Amino acid sequence: METIDRLKEAMVEGDEDACAVLAAELVAEGADLKASIAVLAAEMEEVGRRFETMDIFLPEVLLAADAMTAVMKVFTPELAKDATVAKKGVVVVGTARGDMHQIGKDLVALFLGIAGFEVVDLGTDVDALDFIHEAERANADVIGISSLMTTTMPGATEVVALLKDKGMRDRFKVIVGGAPTSQEWADKIGADGWAEESGGAIDVVKELISGRA
Amino acid sequence: MAYRQWEIMERAATGPFMEEKDFLNKRITAKMREVIKKYGVKFDPAHPVPADDAMADAVWQAAWEFFRDVGVYNQDTHRIMEFSEEEMREALYCAPSSHTVGLGKDSRVFGHRTVEDPRPPFVIFSPDITYDEVDFFQACVAYLKEPLLDAICSPLLEDFQGRAIQSKTPFEIGGSMEHAMHLRSAARLMGVPGVCMIAVGTAETDVAQVAVSQPDWGIRPSDGRLVSSITEMMTNNAMLNKAAHYQMYGSFSGNLTGTIYGAYAGGAEGTAIMQTAYHLMGLLTYGCQFQQNFLFHLKYGSNTGREMLWVVSMYSQAVARNTHLVQDSNGFTNAGPGTDMLFYEAAAHAMTSTVSGANLWETAPARNKHHNHGTPLEARFAAEVGHAVARQGMKRERADEIVNALLAKYEENIPDAPIGQTFQELYDVAKAVPKPEYLDLYKKVKEEVGAMGVEFIY
Ligand code: B12
Repeated sequence: METIDRLKEAMVEGDEDACAVLAAELVAEGADLKASIAVLAAEMEEVGRRFETMDIFLPEVLLAADAMTAVMKVFTPELAKDATVAKKGVVVVGTARGDMHQIGKDLVALFLGIAGFEVVDLGTDVDALDFIHEAERANADVIGISSLMTTTMPGATEVVALLKDKGMRDRFKVIVGGAPTSQEWADKIGADGWAEESGGAIDVVKELISGRA
Repeated sequence: MAYRQWEIMERAATGPFMEEKDFLNKRITAKMREVIKKYGVKFDPAHPVPADDAMADAVWQAAWEFFRDVGVYNQDTHRIMEFSEEEMREALYCAPSSHTVGLGKDSRVFGHRTVEDPRPPFVIFSPDITYDEVDFFQACVAYLKEPLLDAICSPLLEDFQGRAIQSKTPFEIGGSMEHAMHLRSAARLMGVPGVCMIAVGTAETDVAQVAVSQPDWGIRPSDGRLVSSITEMMTNNAMLNKAAHYQMYGSFSGNLTGTIYGAYAGGAEGTAIMQTAYHLMGLLTYGCQFQQNFLFHLKYGSNTGREMLWVVSMYSQAVARNTHLVQDSNGFTNAGPGTDMLFYEAAAHAMTSTVSGANLWETAPARNKHHNHGTPLEARFAAEVGHAVARQGMKRERADEIVNALLAKYEENIPDAPIGQTFQELYDVAKAVPKPEYLDLYKKVKEEVGAMGVEFIY
């Protein structure tokens, strides 16, 4: 079996150690790392699909994602030598102030990460201004806010308002989501994007980031 | 005194440190895989209501070991609150097996039930959903009119005095007080002033919960309260504040826990074990008097699918057989009010829970996320099914057959379930009674479910 196939298998099985070893082998073999990443990313998409149909569950996805991270740790210093590799973008995510519902946000963060974005997870119950400070610190492209309760939807509104007040509205794209939210509400508060579930969140972020490039 | 309250609270500051991500992704996942294998826990899709004592006991043993080795993570201190086996045994032994809740003539016994217990379940009525502020009072009235209601956990408010409630602001406190006051007045007007209220759902924060602890117009020690655990096996200081306040104020405290099928616990086996372990968590971490179980499917947000009913049955049996703790089972349906599918789902959930040893908390329709989409009629139906199957002494094998027949009616429609209609569309709001068309639908399905083998009492 080719090294890349063994690596693919180890990643799906979530075997971090084997992944690190096999990734180093690929580097030593002088393999095309960008092509290898494309193969692994396609396989991760398949993992996502199997999760979507509940043939596998979150722990399997998390293990595979961690294994993929182990591969990237080995690849990144090599890729840094290649100026043609562009970074995909940075997304800061968290739940709005007062909101302790975290699974939806966890899934959005996980799948954005799998899709290749750098994700900074601020956790739950995040103050509106902290979203902005952390986005500045991470030099983020997008701020993602999760509101699971009508009572925490104003927390998302506040982020947009503060960005305006600080004269920084153009600096970050803002996306919102969560069970009680809707596209109409997102439009009303002046957010840049909304999605019903994590799959949609990836599309929205891709669109927003390519739109600004 | 609540079980070793202060010694346990202290562990939030002194327990071992761990990053939250490692706790969830490593500690929980690894231990869950280990216990599923070690105790041979296996989902059986053919039997949503399994008559398998050995499997129920295996789930209990797996949950015991899981809880003992995993502990409870505090998100604020990043430390794990751990418990010894000796403490687990002591707390279990000392826990009461029943509580008299509510006051005077309206008081009721909320107790432990056994598998196939012929005593009817204690039924908490609640839509678990937000309503328009203008209709909130009448919605409470409509629920309080229900004859089988033993306790109420009413609708929630989104607005206070015409303004959207924002979490952690004075509007949350105002809305929470309005919620408590309306519910209290509605109870008096309906002639049940002492009824046990499990409240206040509008009060999200610890501060708002403390603000409604007021025997004259608000929540009394004879009422119930909820403190959540954060999926999976996590808590924070605000939750510990609620837990301590409830115990010291004297209310009956319930651990609000919903393991998410498909998330950190994995599939049906892990979900059943996790939900069982939450009974230990509530007892030891929060000193809870009862356990509020509302596990749900990650994608559908419901617990009436085949795999979900198996989980409901399994953890209920595990707890009923191995402890004398008080538990209830909260139905989350896919379909909304005004549809026959909702009634089928409610019947399946109530029947599964009742024969498996649980009390009932009914019913959260339409995946628990559509404003105004909940009425007392579906809860009434679930309560009637629960009473009927208990009184007729239904065995698990028979329930399994009927639940399979019910599943055949709705299983395929789960992904595209109709969200149905609102309380305002289905009820005469001023009179707080169902409109004739909705009553007809209820009667039609009741007849149908009766013909399937449920001996309704009236
Ligand atoms: C599970 C749950 C809990 C758990 C949360 C556990 C945890 N660790 O997350 C616990 C028990 C802690 C809990 C507590 C409470 N809860 Co709660 N809870 C729920 C429930 C049933 C499901 C939420 C969930 O996990 N869904 C599963 C995930 C996978 O879906 P999701 O979160 O919607 O996320 C998806 C999408 O929305 C989207 N998405 C999410 N975020 C984002 C962000 C972006 C940027 C994008 C693009 C997309 C996106 O993608 C996700 C993946 O596909 C909801 C009901 C519901 N149907 O939503 C009520 C609900 C949210 N809770 C509610 C309430 C009232 C409470 C409590 C106040 C109860 C109480 N009285 O104590 C407390 C409040 C605690 C607090 N301060 O936050 C109410 C809120 C009512 C309102 N005002 O709107 C709800 C709506 C129930 C109801 N109908 O009444 N709850």
